[in-house]
Amino acid sequence: MKKVIVEHLKYRYPQAETLALDDLSFEVDEGEMIGIIGRNGAGKSTLCQALVGLVPHFYRGAYGGRVTVAGLEVLKSSVGRLSAKVGIVFQNPFTQVTGAKWTVYEEVAFGLENMGVPRKEMIERVDFALHLLGLEDVKDRNPFELSGGQAQRMAIAGVIALKPEIIVLDEPTSQLDPQGTEEVFRAIHRLSEEGMTVILAEHKMEKIARYCNRVLLLDEGKLIQFDTPAAVFSREDLMRFGVAPPVYTRVCRELDARREGSSHFPVTLEEACEVLKGR
Amino acid sequence: MQQRKSWFRFTTPSLVLIPVAVGINYVGKLFAGTLKLPLWLDSIGTVLAGMLAGPVIGALAGAINNVIYGLTVDPISFVYGLTSLFIGLVAGIMAFRGWIDGWGKALFVGLAVGLTATAVSTPLNVWFWGGQTGNLWGDALFAAVLARTDSVWLASFLDEVVVDVPDKLLTVLAAYALFRGLPKNIRQLYTGSRDLESLD
Amino acid sequence: MKTFSLYVEKDSLIHRIDPINKILYVLTAVSVPLILPSMAVSFLWMLTSLALLAAAKVIRQSLPVFAFVSLVLGTVVLIQGWFYPGNQTPLFGREPFVFYVEGLMNALRIVVRVITIVAAFLLLVLTTRPADLVEELVRRGLSPRLGYVLASIFQILPQMIKTTRTIMDAQRSRGLETEGNLWVRVKAFLPLIGPVVMSSLIHAKERALALEVRGIHFEGKRTWLREKRKYPHSRAIGACLLLVLALSVVWRILG
Repeated sequence: MKKVIVEHLKYRYPQAETLALDDLSFEVDEGEMIGIIGRNGAGKSTLCQALVGLVPHFYRGAYGGRVTVAGLEVLKSSVGRLSAKVGIVFQNPFTQVTGAKWTVYEEVAFGLENMGVPRKEMIERVDFALHLLGLEDVKDRNPFELSGGQAQRMAIAGVIALKPEIIVLDEPTSQLDPQGTEEVFRAIHRLSEEGMTVILAEHKMEKIARYCNRVLLLDEGKLIQFDTPAAVFSREDLMRFGVAPPVYTRVCRELDARREGSSHFPVTLEEACEVLKGR
Repeated sequence: MQQRKSWFRFTTPSLVLIPVAVGINYVGKLFAGTLKLPLWLDSIGTVLAGMLAGPVIGALAGAINNVIYGLTVDPISFVYGLTSLFIGLVAGIMAFRGWIDGWGKALFVGLAVGLTATAVSTPLNVWFWGGQTGNLWGDALFAAVLARTDSVWLASFLDEVVVDVPDKLLTVLAAYALFRGLPKNIRQLYTGSRDLESLD
Repeated sequence: MKTFSLYVEKDSLIHRIDPINKILYVLTAVSVPLILPSMAVSFLWMLTSLALLAAAKVIRQSLPVFAFVSLVLGTVVLIQGWFYPGNQTPLFGREPFVFYVEGLMNALRIVVRVITIVAAFLLLVLTTRPADLVEELVRRGLSPRLGYVLASIFQILPQMIKTTRTIMDAQRSRGLETEGNLWVRVKAFLPLIGPVVMSSLIHAKERALALEVRGIHFEGKRTWLREKRKYPHSRAIGACLLLVLALSVVWRILG
């Protein structure tokens, strides 16, 4: 089933001269994990926000084309309604903290209170989200006392509690230390295994190659390629788009070690080892 | 600053602006103290909120500022919440009518805000402290004028003017400087048009 | 965690009272002496307010505020005693600083009123958790969005102050002069507050985005994670206070 359908999406921020998103069309299936890559300013964040309705409803500006998410048309639905179907997590863990709640538990329940979910169900959902993100130990602590990794997992939990079908993450680990990054990627992987459709904008190519079913390469708001990690990362002209392939791919390219029966290079450590061992 | 149409914009950015305004008020006062400046500069956030999001948000920011101060630092702030409300209101009205474009006009608005604050605070002072302000130099002036003229209102007014107008003048100028220094995408959030253009 | 408030954690009768009632008390304590301007009424309210503060076991914490207030009140007594326009009957002193009866009486009026109002506000502030106050207001009908704004300030403000210290150190290490003559100090003000304003507004935008996707503008009934807190005799106390207010109005009208 198609969870995300993007048709000729165009968007221009108010007072801007160029399009931030230029005629994008693609579809995402249920349960897929999609990576969005591209240089800074290519439109990754804008695309992420276009999937949840912040583009255009929060910024206004100029909008064209159509985005349908879990059956709802983004242009015609409010951000509130969309947030029950698709959630988003941003870069800075601490600016996502509401500030109005004194414990992690209450913080995660924030969205549920706004949406009028009955108390009994609220408690079930919060418990489930805390468990999934490994936050049970800190559920009574103050949100501002958490580490970056914990705070980001709390942000994800707050979004998961709303039971969306799709979750979008916009560079969620760029402000975290290596341990925090590991924690968050493990959590994202768990979500994907639970069947959630995940869309992840990232710079950490090794992670994208490891976890994503398909990768979407953006440049200047245009869709350059939407294909498997192997196909995208094996491109000769990747550097032209400000993207460096995973280190394993770079090594294999130097050694001209391609995958068996394919013109693509390996993109993960395991694949690279396999190919190089076989030589 | 151009003239703006909608005065009641309770958008999320406007709401989130209020805690920031209260914070900027606090930080302004903090820096004025650290730098040992002879001013309070504790309303810069309120004025900036009025400039960005209009009179209603400005007034709310001012009132809420004093409510929070009252709950956390000094209960007497509750009494002067009305003054803060009017500071934000007037700054917002003038900004939204497009009257603050250029430093000369900003100076004028600063005087207007200062006189408004004085006009609102004076009755509060007369009611609460019997005309005094709690400020040493201002109250000395109060005593002198009262002794000479026997007019509580005149003495109280002058006490407040001397204390408030210079402070509010510099407050508005500082807020205007900060407003002008904001990056376009932040200002856009508050001042931009709410129309959605179609590209189809 | 040290919370940004004057709230004093104690278990007294007053602490357990509905915050809304405490707001009503402040209203009556301020209004009734205004409506019935007799010395006796004012004294009564002052003593009642102070007694309640004692009952709440927060007298010690109220002293700093009363100390500051006393300083100003001291000057009020002097200035009113000497220069009150209605002065006629001298009491003691030497020209030109003679204390008159009328001035001192007026000063007494002011002193009693200030102490009453300050005590009433302190009663609210020292015995109520800000989060509880906001929750009660929203339960009684305050817009949840406004309730969010109020509640969030108590934590966002300390965070902003932390950032401020970092920025101040950074600017100083870049060579910003913060000491010296007045002009040097004035020039340092904008470079110090500018970065704070910038980063705060950027964070505010990010927070706004996060709030939007957590349904802050959702129209419709909201629910509560916490159970509704039962405050003892909430209705009775509220009714009493309103009754007192009403009676004072009636008394005034009847002369």
